[in-house]
Amino acid sequence: MLFHLLEKPHAASCPERAGFRASWFLVASIVSNTQDGPSIFSTSRRRPTRLAWLAPASLVAGLLLWEGLARKAGLPAFILPSPLIVGQRFLELARDGSLWRHTLVTLSEILAGLAVGVTVAFVLGYLVAKSPSLERVLAPYIVASQSIPVVAIAPLLIIWFGAGTLSKVMISALIVFFPVLVNTVVGVRSVPADLHDLMRSLRATRWQIFAKLDVPASLPVLFGGLKIGATLAVIGAVVGEFVAADQGLGFLITLKRGLYDTAGVFVAVFLLIGLAMLMYSAVSLVERRTLRWRNGPEA
Amino acid sequence: MQRPSPRAAAGLAGLLALIALAGACLPPPQAEAPRRVRLPMGYIPNVQYAPFYVALEKGYFLEEGIDLEFDYAFETDGVALVGAGELPFSLASGEQVLLARAQGLPVTYVYAWWQDYPVAVAAPVESGITTPEDLVGKRIGIPVLAGASFIGYQALMRAAGIPPEAAKLEVIGFNQVEALLAGQTEAVVIYANNEPIQLEHLGMPVNVVRVADYVTLSSNGLISNEGTLQSDPELVRGMLRALKRGVDDVLADPEAAYEICKRYIEGLQDADQSVQREVLEASLEFWRSERAGWSDPQAWENMHAVLLQTGLLKAPVDLEGSYSNDFLP
Repeated sequence: MLFHLLEKPHAASCPERAGFRASWFLVASIVSNTQDGPSIFSTSRRRPTRLAWLAPASLVAGLLLWEGLARKAGLPAFILPSPLIVGQRFLELARDGSLWRHTLVTLSEILAGLAVGVTVAFVLGYLVAKSPSLERVLAPYIVASQSIPVVAIAPLLIIWFGAGTLSKVMISALIVFFPVLVNTVVGVRSVPADLHDLMRSLRATRWQIFAKLDVPASLPVLFGGLKIGATLAVIGAVVGEFVAADQGLGFLITLKRGLYDTAGVFVAVFLLIGLAMLMYSAVSLVERRTLRWRNGPEA
Repeated sequence: MQRPSPRAAAGLAGLLALIALAGACLPPPQAEAPRRVRLPMGYIPNVQYAPFYVALEKGYFLEEGIDLEFDYAFETDGVALVGAGELPFSLASGEQVLLARAQGLPVTYVYAWWQDYPVAVAAPVESGITTPEDLVGKRIGIPVLAGASFIGYQALMRAAGIPPEAAKLEVIGFNQVEALLAGQTEAVVIYANNEPIQLEHLGMPVNVVRVADYVTLSSNGLISNEGTLQSDPELVRGMLRALKRGVDDVLADPEAAYEICKRYIEGLQDADQSVQREVLEASLEFWRSERAGWSDPQAWENMHAVLLQTGLLKAPVDLEGSYSNDFLP
């Protein structure tokens, strides 16, 4: 939905208006996804329409509770800004276009990091699943990649890959890599051996076994890894932006913290939550479409 | 009048002696326990905090009734905690006070520990960069587009009459030494008392263009909040007295101060001693002052102007409440 709206030609003619509109569409798409779609943890295609009001009602109740708390506590905005103040700051940042610019930067880093991390993890995971000897050789490195405290080595990655987009993409890819790899290995190994025997008895080539059996049969598990990776990619990009950046939502948080603008920090944090939800929803959508065959023919 | 019998007199004397003995055994009037004060430092343990280590080691804070505890938290967190009234003091740079007050944090700068702004631009000697004019068209690495480094750079260029955008700023995180050594940038924004020494020891002597040589800005010092200033002025005065004694002692005997630092900074024993000694030595010149802790109103005016010019302040801030010289020893 978001990408469809961004392609409209009039949006390009006025970047600031387009940015403002797109920011709203981002929120709207997340809410509508939560509203109309099935539970985010579900892979079922059935829509529990009678329960659709629960998500927006919970959102409104949460906002009211927050507003009430902020008013009752009487705390200054730099300690606990009310939702109204945060909303006001959101509009200001959306109007001047900066919010949209930072969001786009972070989103592009997330997508690139996800693409790199998932590609490497899929290829390596498949090879490891098929070759126990390769698994033994690579296992220490793979486990090490997961135990690296990314925050600690992020400054080094900035030095190695430069302070531009590449370093953020690499940090994001590093975080994405492990869960996707583990799920790839588990997914590929979960394919029943007798199905392999059947394919071989039919004289299927290696490529045919890969494309017609291994990939489709392991997809449900692969999507599990992809969902985790998609949300972790957001964290990776932001960690990189915290260390060294002049744009992106991580940079916006640093900037707003430096200005003691807590409401501005909240806006960036909510946008990041929105991006993570968007990524998760996008993977869920692809999953539902791709795995439609599992639910049998449409009624 | 009947005289008391010798037995009665002896009994009375014994009773008085007993009372006197009981009095002697009573605990003395309770001495007031020192007040525990957690001080956000804004950076990791470092020789640049020598005055605090010395004052703590020599008991200056305890003499003022302060049980000081160091908290190596981020500068902005310390300012926010003081602004919220959670802590009475924090260390902060001048610009933080104005930025915080703009957001309604009632913080006040009470002791100008650093008399000059320590930010500078460093470039390899062979680059020939010695003035702000030489920076035009150059790629300059900066940790982040906020905070003291960014403001110092902006102030330097504006003071020299050069638009700050005349050089290309590249955000490199706190990796200035590595970036310059790797040739990623042609110059870097640094702290004059730290990175140039490290670069020199790593084989890259640098020229340093100091912000303080072009403009006076309010620098690192101790902040408190309006509530503490009103309700507990003696605590503030005591804190400043102890800090001043610490600064004086370090200036008088840096070598002894360095030895004390070793007890407070993990790993200092194993660090490059010559580098760390030089960092301390270079910091001393920022602390020397004829009027210890005194805030120069012009430095605050200048800082205020830079923040407005850069857009970090959207509207003027009341400078009156931003700093005070009223509590100085």
